Parts: sequence; C-alpha cells; structure tokens
Amino acid sequence: MTDPVPATGRPAFAHASEAELARILDFYDVRWAYEPDTFPIAWNLDGDVIESFSPDFYLPDFELYVELTTLKQKLVRKKNRKLRRLRELYPDIRIKLFYARDFRMLLLKFGRLALHEELSGTTGQSTPPRPAAEESFHATPGHEPAHVAALDAIADDGTAGADDEVPGPLDPGVGAAVPDATRREGRGRRRGKRRRRPAGQAPAIPVEAARPDPGAQPA
Amino acid sequence: MSHTADLEHDIGEVLLSEEQIAAKTAELGARISEDYAGRSLTLVSVLKGSLPFMADLMRQITLPLRIDLMEVSSYGGATTESSGLVRIMKDLSASIVGEDVLLVEDIIDTGLTLNYLVRYLRGKNPASLKICTLLDKPARRLVDIPVDYVGFEIPDQFVVGYGLDYGEQYRNLRFVGVLRPEVYTAHE
Repeated sequence: MTDPVPATGRPAFAHASEAELARILDFYDVRWAYEPDTFPIAWNLDGDVIESFSPDFYLPDFELYVELTTLKQKLVRKKNRKLRRLRELYPDIRIKLFYARDFRMLLLKFGRLALHEELSGTTGQSTPPRPAAEESFHATPGHEPAHVAALDAIADDGTAGADDEVPGPLDPGVGAAVPDATRREGRGRRRGKRRRRPAGQAPAIPVEAARPDPGAQPA
Repeated sequence: MSHTADLEHDIGEVLLSEEQIAAKTAELGARISEDYAGRSLTLVSVLKGSLPFMADLMRQITLPLRIDLMEVSSYGGATTESSGLVRIMKDLSASIVGEDVLLVEDIIDTGLTLNYLVRYLRGKNPASLKICTLLDKPARRLVDIPVDYVGFEIPDQFVVGYGLDYGEQYRNLRFVGVLRPEVYTAHE
C-alpha cells in the first residue's frame, strides 16, 4: 500500500462532483492532490499570462491529471479547447478528461446514479473560500470540514468553476507558476519547469489561443 | 427460463454471444497453458462478477492449478459509509508466497479495484502476478495497469451478463449485453 501522507484537511472543492470523486479515490486508496498546478496556456504580447488551466486532480502514483466536467456535452467546448491547448504546450503531461457522461457512468457503476443530477452542471457548483496554501496529498479519508460538508448539501450559485478564462487570482502572471513550497520536492521541481516562462517570451499563438474555437469537438 | 427471458428484454444489444465468449475463453486458456507450463499456477478470482469466467477459464487450462477467491467491497456499497475504504470481504484461503498468480477479472474499466487488488496481492509475495480479464473497457480507465491477457476490448457502454450485474441482476445471462439506458434511468 502507499505510504500515507498526512492530510492537512480537505480542500475546498469547487464542485460537489469533485468532492465525490475525491471520496471514490480515497475509497480505493489512490493518492490525489486537488488542483496542485496551474498551467499557463495563453500569453499576451508582453508575456503576461492571460489564460491558464488548473486540472482538478493529480494522481501522483500514475503521473496523471484528471479534469472533471459535469456540464452538458454541448457546453464543454471551452474546456475542450483549453485541454487541446494544454496538450499542445505541455505534450509530456498525461491528462484525462472526465465528461458528464463519464461521471454519470461512474456513478452508475457504483450504484449512485441518483446522485448524478445533484452533482452535475451548475447545480453542483459552489464557490467556497479556497485558501491558496490549502493543498496536500490525500491518502486516507478523514472527516471533512464544514465547508466541504456544505458542498455536499449542494449550494447553487451558478458560478463558474476553477479554470479562469481571463486573468484571475490563480494566474496573476509568471510569478504564480512557482511551485508551492508545501508540495513534495520531486513534484514541484518537475512542474515548476513547465510553468516558468520568462516575461517577453510569448508562445507562438499568444492572443488567438484565448479566442473561442467554434470547431472544437469533444476529445 | 421465463426469468431469463424477462432479463433479456432489458438488453438493448447482445455485445458478445455465448459462442464468442466460449471461443475466446478457450483461446485464453490455451495461451495461459503455454505460458505457465512447468510453473505453479494459482488463479485468483474476484467475486462475484468473475465467477462464470473463472469457471470456464480454469477448465480450458491444461495445467495443474489451484484456485482461490476474493471479494472486496465496492464504493457505494453497504460498507462505504461506515469505513470509507475498500474492505476485503473475503480474503485468500491459502498463502500465495512463491506462487505464480493469475488474477482473473470479468471486466476492467476504471482500474480502481484492480489497482487496489494488485497492490494487495503483491504484498503477499507471489513469485509473479499477472492479470487476465474477459472484458476491457479502456475508455473508462482512470488508473492504468498493464493487463496481460485480454479477452475483448469493448466500447464505453454499460454491459451486463455472464457474471456482470446491475443491481445484482443479469449475472445469469449467458451472453454479454448492453443494458437499455431506460432500465437504469428508471431507477434514478
């Protein structure tokens, strides 16, 4: 079995479906980290990050990111575009996108399909406080703090999830890419390399990448 | 028989016929017999879904072998809320130290249960540990584990029959079929 890494408390999940997936991973003793990394995916001509992508989960034992979206298929175009861009810019990372249908089938497999509606789409969204340093690996489940319990009660404010289409607190610029000091050394080094992009060195498609892509199809 | 006929009514499509399953099982049995010749083979099956496949596969293997059975709790089951962790409902009945173990599965989709079992069994120090599954649903994979023997790669549909269940039903179908969505949406 994996060596348990002491958990410092459950993260404040942006969506109730993420809390459910975390419980599933805990159940099967799969270590995970919640939104441990933010990948810049678009820059302006000055080299400032104007769009970023934060996959929901990282499974360190499998070197796999998991992005969970419970929006209806026709509404995931933006996420598909961001994912495609992420894969272009960071071809060495492995990421799995779980669509609403995938999540539904997962719940069906576990006999919890009745939960699907309340864990899906905007119904399951919430914007709890998300302290920047509250991130850790979870190897053993524990009692969730009140803010996660509140998620389970399914707050509905209809707001967006964690991935910012425009610059926000998670991607104020290159400085935000420095790995969190609380993370494990090996992981921080690896990902920090991807994230650091000196100002002024904009990628090939700096502004166009931020435009909606009407031709995007589900991956 | 009439019970089976009712169950079949809930099946939208027969994905794998009884004959296809039998042919594939024979093929896998022959491969395993060749690969494990002269070795000390133990088949470990995971209840309950793998039971029909295990029963058929072991009879297609032409080597001396031992069998053992395990059962683990599933997320969402009765034990989930109390423990929050996978529980071994039935453990191995004999030691597998130094044995060549072949884990026999009915289906691999997310890989979560398999990942757990592989780590658990490796901790028992077998000489080797390989995996055989009748069905593989790679589109659903969350955690990747190399699988040594795969019967059929199947599309991303909810399948039942030949041991696979929905709500503990349909296991006794002699084929693998796709469950009509209205069957499980009706129970939401």
